[in-house]
Amino acid sequence: MNRPSGRFLRFFVASVILAGALAYGWTHNAPDFVTPIRTIFPESQRIEVRQGVHHVWGSGGTLIGWAGVGTADGYGGPMLLVVGIDTLGLVAGVQVVEQRETPVFWRMVRSPDYIREITGAQYNAIDYDYESVVAVTGATLSADAIVESLRVSVAEVAGVAFDVRLPLPPRPLEFGILELSILALFSIGIIGHRLRGPIRRRLRWAGQIVGLLVLGFWENSPITMAKLAGILSGFLPDPRTALAIYLLIAGFLLTSIFFGRNLYCLYACPFGAAQRLIGAIGGFKLKVPLWAVRFMEGTRNLVVFVALFLAFLTLQPALASYEPFAALFALHGSTVQWFLLFIVLTVSLLIQTPWCNFFCPMRTIELVVLDAKRWVKGKKGGDR
Amino acid sequence: MQIFNSGLFWFIEGILFVFVVLGMGAWARDRGLRVPVWKWGLFMIWLLLAGFTIAFVGTSFGEGESVAGTRGGLLFGAITIIAGVGLWRVLLAGAEPGGGDVVSEA
Repeated sequence: MNRPSGRFLRFFVASVILAGALAYGWTHNAPDFVTPIRTIFPESQRIEVRQGVHHVWGSGGTLIGWAGVGTADGYGGPMLLVVGIDTLGLVAGVQVVEQRETPVFWRMVRSPDYIREITGAQYNAIDYDYESVVAVTGATLSADAIVESLRVSVAEVAGVAFDVRLPLPPRPLEFGILELSILALFSIGIIGHRLRGPIRRRLRWAGQIVGLLVLGFWENSPITMAKLAGILSGFLPDPRTALAIYLLIAGFLLTSIFFGRNLYCLYACPFGAAQRLIGAIGGFKLKVPLWAVRFMEGTRNLVVFVALFLAFLTLQPALASYEPFAALFALHGSTVQWFLLFIVLTVSLLIQTPWCNFFCPMRTIELVVLDAKRWVKGKKGGDR
Repeated sequence: MQIFNSGLFWFIEGILFVFVVLGMGAWARDRGLRVPVWKWGLFMIWLLLAGFTIAFVGTSFGEGESVAGTRGGLLFGAITIIAGVGLWRVLLAGAEPGGGDVVSEA
């Protein structure tokens, strides 16, 4: 009979607790639309939903405006935004009801100037050129989510209140250098995994340097806990605009299952590449005592559990993001993340890839996948 | 902090800088290292980087920009340390085995 390992049992119990947290999160985090609508229309007396649009009445039962709710994919999940439009067709105000962005990036895009600029504009003449702000802040996904959800909410109101159909811009499949690079990196990984000796080492270096440049410094698109927690929370981003994260996660899972080691970490991860490069500069390879390795691995698993628990409980996937990736690749991060980055980069001179070995949540996820695979395999063998 | 704007401070700074460069030369001689011009160039660049890091942190805190000082210090500090280790290895490359570190000889 196949007995699951102690670690697998711990993972199982943790999964049950996390599922409970997620269930709680979904049942206790219903968005509140009334408060933001009352903020936009302070004179409102009654709010009623008709044909999916909030109709707002003032004193004496006079219709004073409408409020449309729009949603779009942000960094950590959907963003919900309410736009109020008065009976003259002018934007009365915009309120963000829900957002799941990482706090650092959210602080940058939450520029009130843009909201102020469009307040008072005619509903069919709104300037959606928020991209200029994006270019300055670099928070592409968060800013795009604001623009997209604004478009959706205005179109909703226009259709119901003014009987005008405002066309939404088409969203073609985004397949560019990033997506091509990801496919190339996994291909290199699969080839490299089958080879031995110096060719394998060279392929790994080649893959990691491409990963560092494209997935790191150029696109800042490594797999992060926020993205993973978002998907696990049920916030599936639109594959047309977020194909890269699907490719990365699929590559991570499939190579873990079929090759017994995920090739994302070995060949594509930009942060792993940065540490390996620094390790090559340092040339030291200090051995960490086994007890310290076990302690750090246990701590890492606990941190991953707590991060996911909080993300699920609050339905805020960005809460799970503790990695210092953005600090290195986009020069944005909290002070804690900057300290973490400093420690990891300098310790990389002495110890091989310390983040990957002791802090990276992907290692914990990989262990879960491998344990589950072993358990399923053993169960099949036992059944035969 | 008037001292930082005074001529005396920069006079001392210049003396210390010269000592660092002379010290580097002495260290290389003691170790029997050959230091060609390009290695001196790398050393000077690193010295400027280290000086810039300290200046960045100092001026940022001095101007009340503690967040910028902390984050910039951590980033440039890491770059300086990593570059320093890289420079160390470059300087030691090609060192004669057993050369240097002789404290006394009969």
